[in-house]
Amino acid sequence: MENSFVLRALERGYDKLLSTGQTSSYVAGHPEATITRHSSFDFGPYQSGRNGFGRVRVFGDEVFRGLGCGYNMHPHHNFIICAFVLEGQLTTINTIGNIDQLGPGDYYAFSAGSGGKHCELNLRSEDANILYVWILPDQLLLPPSYARGRFDAAHTSNRLVTLVGDADGAVRVSQDVKISRLSADRGITCTYRPNSSAHGVYAFVIDGKVSINDVTFGRRDSLGVWGPAPLTVNIDTEDADVLFVETAP
Amino acid sequence: MNSELFKRWMCLGCGFLYDEALGSAEHGLAPGTRWADIPESWVCPDCGTPKHLFEMVEIPYAPGQPVSQQTA
Repeated sequence: MENSFVLRALERGYDKLLSTGQTSSYVAGHPEATITRHSSFDFGPYQSGRNGFGRVRVFGDEVFRGLGCGYNMHPHHNFIICAFVLEGQLTTINTIGNIDQLGPGDYYAFSAGSGGKHCELNLRSEDANILYVWILPDQLLLPPSYARGRFDAAHTSNRLVTLVGDADGAVRVSQDVKISRLSADRGITCTYRPNSSAHGVYAFVIDGKVSINDVTFGRRDSLGVWGPAPLTVNIDTEDADVLFVETAP
Repeated sequence: MNSELFKRWMCLGCGFLYDEALGSAEHGLAPGTRWADIPESWVCPDCGTPKHLFEMVEIPYAPGQPVSQQTA
């Protein structure tokens, strides 16, 4: 297993899905609706990158463009699917019984477990930008579940906030994975300490410019690191936003 | 008789699970059908992901599972 890697924004997998033609039953929306997906790890037709990171298998940076664009109702099992809305609005409907609308800062964890379907839609004309993170569960065929949370950047700026995992106020999932977010509106330095020497941290820059362990990362660049050494995160004066996904091996 | 332990395979496109011990009667695979004996042209019955994009997993079942092969 490599100890660390840097993945620049443009090195990620790229896919464009149309609501017409071969993907018409999968992709919702009017004929001009398109989903664009940048994948940090192998997913779908993109299979020339890394096959995941620890317990994480999918990290998709997706844009639903066009009114009604998204994924029609489709089945899942087992995966814990987390969605973090960055821009626009996401409507999610699932067979657990949830019909939910999420805006910027909102997120959910949908654990498909023994079987569940969901539908993901952008019901507005402006683009919706969503990060999808798929996590392997620690048990197969768990009862399906859905929980949502909110990251309020205005009230939690300049400090690391745990969104998913074993922490107060976070959405719990059935896996040794922790997802945190740091949104800064001024220059700060913070240290990310992994839970153990066996854990790995995948840091993804949502926006801005960030220096991690003295390497500079721009918008949508990312870094994966294994081992006990803390990550030193340095943000200069401009705004920056970083997601940290920590996982057992 | 193949004495190797039965294995479980998960679809990386949707999470569909194939357990060699259980097979998948719904999809014409008898209990005990080894992954290696399923044709390479086989695809995930739920999402169409090709067989080679499944991952062998050593994750235990949740308590009470599997109830049946068609738990969805």
